Amino acid sequence: MRKPDLSTRIAVTGAGIICSIGRNKAEVWSSIVESRAGIRKMTAFPGETFPTDLAAEALADLAGELPIGKREAKRLSRTDLLAVIAAKEALEQANGAPIARAIVSTGTSTGGLLEGEQYYFGRLVRGRRREPASRVLQQPTSAPSDAVARVFNLGGGVISNATACASAGAAIGMAADFLRSRHADVALAGGSDALCRLTYSGFNVLQAVDPEPCSPFGATRKGITLGEGSGYLVLERWDDAVTRGATILAELCGYGASCDAHHPTAPIEDGRGAEAAMRGALAEARLGALGEAGLATVDYVNAHGTGTLLNDSAETKAIISAVGAGVPVSSSKSYFGHTLGASGAIEAVVTVLALQHQIAPPTLRLGTAADDCSLDYIPHTPRPMAMANVLSNTFGFGGSNVSLAFRRVL
Amino acid sequence: MSRIPITGIGVIAPGAIGVEAFRAQLAAGQTTIAEVERFDTAGLSAHKAALVTDFRPKEFIAPMKMRRMNVLSRLGVAAAKLAIEDCGGTLEHDTGVSVGTAFGPVQTSVEYMQEYVAKGAALAPPQLFAESVANAPGSHIAIEWGLRGFNITITQRESSVLAAAMFASSQLLKNNVRAALIGGVEEANEMLFSVLDRIGALAHANGNADEAARPFDRRRNGLVLGEAGAMLVAGGGTRKPYGYLSGFGMARDTSASISDWGTDPTAVANAMRAAIEDAELSLPDIDAIYASANGSVRGDALEQRAIESLFTRVPPVVATKGIFGEYAAGGGLQLAAALIALDEQKLHASPGFEEGELPVTRETRDAQLRHVLVNTLSAGGGVVCAVVSREAA
Repeated sequence: MRKPDLSTRIAVTGAGIICSIGRNKAEVWSSIVESRAGIRKMTAFPGETFPTDLAAEALADLAGELPIGKREAKRLSRTDLLAVIAAKEALEQANGAPIARAIVSTGTSTGGLLEGEQYYFGRLVRGRRREPASRVLQQPTSAPSDAVARVFNLGGGVISNATACASAGAAIGMAADFLRSRHADVALAGGSDALCRLTYSGFNVLQAVDPEPCSPFGATRKGITLGEGSGYLVLERWDDAVTRGATILAELCGYGASCDAHHPTAPIEDGRGAEAAMRGALAEARLGALGEAGLATVDYVNAHGTGTLLNDSAETKAIISAVGAGVPVSSSKSYFGHTLGASGAIEAVVTVLALQHQIAPPTLRLGTAADDCSLDYIPHTPRPMAMANVLSNTFGFGGSNVSLAFRRVL
Repeated sequence: MSRIPITGIGVIAPGAIGVEAFRAQLAAGQTTIAEVERFDTAGLSAHKAALVTDFRPKEFIAPMKMRRMNVLSRLGVAAAKLAIEDCGGTLEHDTGVSVGTAFGPVQTSVEYMQEYVAKGAALAPPQLFAESVANAPGSHIAIEWGLRGFNITITQRESSVLAAAMFASSQLLKNNVRAALIGGVEEANEMLFSVLDRIGALAHANGNADEAARPFDRRRNGLVLGEAGAMLVAGGGTRKPYGYLSGFGMARDTSASISDWGTDPTAVANAMRAAIEDAELSLPDIDAIYASANGSVRGDALEQRAIESLFTRVPPVVATKGIFGEYAAGGGLQLAAALIALDEQKLHASPGFEEGELPVTRETRDAQLRHVLVNTLSAGGGVVCAVVSREAA
């Protein structure tokens, strides 16, 4: 069996994104540099009685962004449609990549749960024999990968990752390893998740939702703001990308994964699981902690930074241990909320954009950092700075942790 | 060449708790498919499934922990416990967990929505929400044994466990972990059963034919839903390996719709060929195929055409899903059966098959097996194939 060859460099040759602050990379980056968040009163579920009422919703009507007709779109879930939109932008940018052989590796937490809920309510009213079952066909979490592969005629294989909020980060790391082992020639890797009642209610009953727009690492933080969206990267082996003359956006140079093995929903307080994931990514990328002799260091960390008391405290400790106390850190969830299974991909796209523009996104609404959050969190406004190597963190329920390392292309 | 040893198998299957019971079940070659009593099938076309009915989770899990787990998590933790016991050793903290499940916690989501409707969005039980994520079983397994390596859950329908095994193998070969628990969980429930029935996916009585899973048989008319938990210990343990994971291949049939199998056998053949090449073998080295076939009209026809197009001489084909249904442990039982075949040097029977074109086994028999090809074709077009081998090299 071929093993992943770590000397094989992985090039990012395409990126696509849709979330509450934009329908594509240009809009998202414009929102970021203008410090414009996409968190508002939720419109998706009128009449429901949730304890909180904010969300970071993507465009309500996605029809205008889709490369498919209404009839085909009707068969897909909202999570699928978000995925198709982000995938389209990524594939267009990677123009010329041999996408017919591309694998699709997608992370999602909810899949078509929104449509599953609608089916469930329909069954309550009409009974199981009368409610059309076709509406629930897109509920499986395999559907976003299948839908993207179907729409763009991709034949390399499909893999769906449902590792809660770490799903998309894991999907990207997995795709990179399959490229390194030559089980795939090109990969479309990312994640997608739409808001649904179950997750909105669920995080509320866990008392993990901030009634105000989330303020990661802040002294007054009370939890997350739920969001939705999708992000994809096109990944190719570096030499293949160079040979075909592709424009390389960044190098995906490291992937680390770990588990806290601590609690079904809460991170371990000392952050050792997150630290292990970051150390894994650093080792693959041949990077060291700040001040470590002989190795390049990390210039910026795009944190998981959810805004919950436990995550932000544990992640801060993990970053200090793995990278060092001086590294600039920010949470882009302050712009577009926690997009759950898609977050690893959406934030990976933002991280690649940050490397390209040499501007670190800020943490919005960070008045005073909490006592247990002692890093440089880049408050309020973007920071132009030199960045060669950066990390993007994604952690999830069950203590699953993923960290991705990206390197600037000169 | 690098191969991954499998030293432990844990199974919670219909009619078989533990690997020895599973061996006996496979040897007997009897189906475990029976009338469904767990939920009401009145008004549906199908009435049978392969269900786990004699699983007592408290024999495996402490009561306090068990209360925090849904059925999938209980199946996963119990199967992991059996696998670890079977491997004859203990697992170090740097062990990864890679779980596959075709549909995940559908029943837990249904129960959450029942509470949501009854009590309101603000008062549904948080414990149900915590278990509504597909990776809850993998999380509980990690917590139970303190396993801090990667922890990942794959949901690629019928291919879930092979994809999970493929990923775990890549991490073992990278030396990111010393060992891995690889496996799957699946629960049959009323919601899944009725939806599959409504879309015409399930086998049903038809004319003179009873309701049954008939993989590759001319009279087949659908799959039978199964459930199980199955976990394998890879790369650790002291037991003589059952066999080795030696190659993987994947592809996607671009003629497939998003929820059905396609009609072009090329991708399936390509995935089989890729797995064989990854194992550094050639077609004549394959001594048997543990097929994906589940009794579906389109899926089985596609796999048959792919096998016929690839192999000049088709090796014996074993279709295990007549024994324990489709989605059993996310495909984990099929992989476990192939490894047991290598260990025992026996090919298993394919109950439900009576008449068809492929050389499908009709009864369990001795065979010289060096390398077995395991196929999984998922609705939606995904294909993952694996080669499992008897020897380390």
